[in-house]
Amino acid sequence: MTTALQHDVAGFVYHEARLMDESRYSEWLDLWAPDALYWVPCDGDDGDPRNQISLIYDDRARIEDRVFRLNSSSAHSQDPPSRMCRIVGNVRVLSDEASRDGSGDEITVESSFVLVEVRRGHKNMYAGRTTHRLRPDGAGLRIVSKKVVLVDNDQYLGNLTFLL
Amino acid sequence: MTVEVNSANDFSDLVRIDEGLIHSSVYTSEAIFELELARIFHRWWVYVGHESEVAQPGDYCLKWIGRQSVIMTRSEDGTIHLLMNRCRHRGATVCQADKGSSHFFKCQYHGWTYSNDGELIGLPHAAAFGASFDKGSYGLTRVPRVGEYRGFLFASLSPTGVSLDEHLGHSTRFIDDFLAASPEGRIRLSAGIQRTQFKGNWKLVGQDAYHPAVTHRSVQEISQRRAGTRPGSTTASSDLHKDLNKIYAQGSPSLSWDLGGGHGRLDNYPSKLPRTPALLEKIRSTEHGRIYLELLAEVHGEEHVGEVLNRSDPHMSIWPNLMITSSQVRNTRPLAAGLTAVDMWPAFLDGVPAEVNSERLRGHEAFFGAASLGSPDDYEVFERIHVGLQATVDPWVLMSRGLETEQRHPDGTIVGAITDEVSQRAQLRQWLKVMSLNVEAAL
Repeated sequence: MTTALQHDVAGFVYHEARLMDESRYSEWLDLWAPDALYWVPCDGDDGDPRNQISLIYDDRARIEDRVFRLNSSSAHSQDPPSRMCRIVGNVRVLSDEASRDGSGDEITVESSFVLVEVRRGHKNMYAGRTTHRLRPDGAGLRIVSKKVVLVDNDQYLGNLTFLL
Repeated sequence: MTVEVNSANDFSDLVRIDEGLIHSSVYTSEAIFELELARIFHRWWVYVGHESEVAQPGDYCLKWIGRQSVIMTRSEDGTIHLLMNRCRHRGATVCQADKGSSHFFKCQYHGWTYSNDGELIGLPHAAAFGASFDKGSYGLTRVPRVGEYRGFLFASLSPTGVSLDEHLGHSTRFIDDFLAASPEGRIRLSAGIQRTQFKGNWKLVGQDAYHPAVTHRSVQEISQRRAGTRPGSTTASSDLHKDLNKIYAQGSPSLSWDLGGGHGRLDNYPSKLPRTPALLEKIRSTEHGRIYLELLAEVHGEEHVGEVLNRSDPHMSIWPNLMITSSQVRNTRPLAAGLTAVDMWPAFLDGVPAEVNSERLRGHEAFFGAASLGSPDDYEVFERIHVGLQATVDPWVLMSRGLETEQRHPDGTIVGAITDEVSQRAQLRQWLKVMSLNVEAAL
């Protein structure tokens, strides 16, 4: 793992966080690979999604649905939209062997976030751990998969229709 | 109108069902909310849980009856118990985890220890309680009445009152319909819970077929976009992509029901019926789907499989706190006049290929849950309602759709067009009845 790669990967994760904070949905969609998986577990951190409900379990088509909806004027739960600021830290690129596991040049990166979201006079705080799997693609990186483990995914949750 | 409700026994000025007028305070008043807890949730039959949540001997989970914490346990002999989560000594809770498996519950104040059937099995230095202290009479207090219908457990904190059979009335045959989608006639709530909440009144969660075309317009737009851009997309889920426009729309042959007892239902079967061949063809397009259809045919007969599947979404509210809709079991929990928690369980079918249940999960996630594309828009509207209802000038909610055309049947049920407010009036009619019963009076 070179310092340069660490720098690239962290920069990518920060860039994604900025797009999510600013509700730049279409630019965010462009970060995803065609074979993407976006997973936010529910009621536990590590269940088998075939047997366990998730908050989000989106393939590429569903990510597109999600973005299409957010870009429309019909996503009432984002009218008005959430205003957000998140701090992403503890960014750690897994070692080459653990990271690559036979999938070519793909990179696994772990990070943590704290997110403050403001909407309709209420300020909400969320926190979680994210695992990105990234694939070098031409000039940049693409998200092959992203798993977001909210610390409160088994608690009563309000409106999570912004991007996590 | 000034609302004085502290000792009210007659709410008929606030719930004028026959005019389709409901006073806002029914949804916003904390005083009325306290009476709802006392008279409905702490007295009437309420849904508590499903037997599959304590599948094995020793399993337990925590439940709420109104504001009261209850432990649902399965003891070694297989019996399910509902026990008040309150030490008989000084009142501390004895069970802390939402769910787990344990042979006993121990109070961490003075060490009183109870078996998972509720018996007090040990306490330090018992002799000082006196010679007449009878350990056998100090088990965890049992919920006074517990009843079950095919795995669904209901309870009442009142020792007297109507029987569960009487309360459930016409609703049970639609529970049967829901379970019939399993070749074994059983579901299990083993796939976790989506816990959600909104800042509004618990009675807003209900059956309404007038709203999808507006509230869930985004879901319809997604359907239309998918149909246009990616015909045959394999990720389409039945929940997300069912055509809300046709099933729950003015002019649809679907019906809305007041089943009596506060129970309401949106009967979507008439709309689904003509599409049965397409439904069966879709299921048959996968190997696990073919196996599923064969399993259903063995139980119900091949000619009935389409009907069984089409009827398996009862879209029903069992008053006051249970909904069975799509593939979901939903429990509404009142926290305050303006705060409601909703637990949603995707129901797995027993005796089907695993892939069938995985598809139910994906369908559930598309529409339901805090980050989904459907239910957050419902909650958004409920929160807007709670703000709007604070207005004291002209504080009336209009709920009169179909009032003039609904048909009353001799068995007590009422039926109207799908977008009529028949099932909402059903809930409020029962609310009026139960809230108006004096707490002290024999039920």
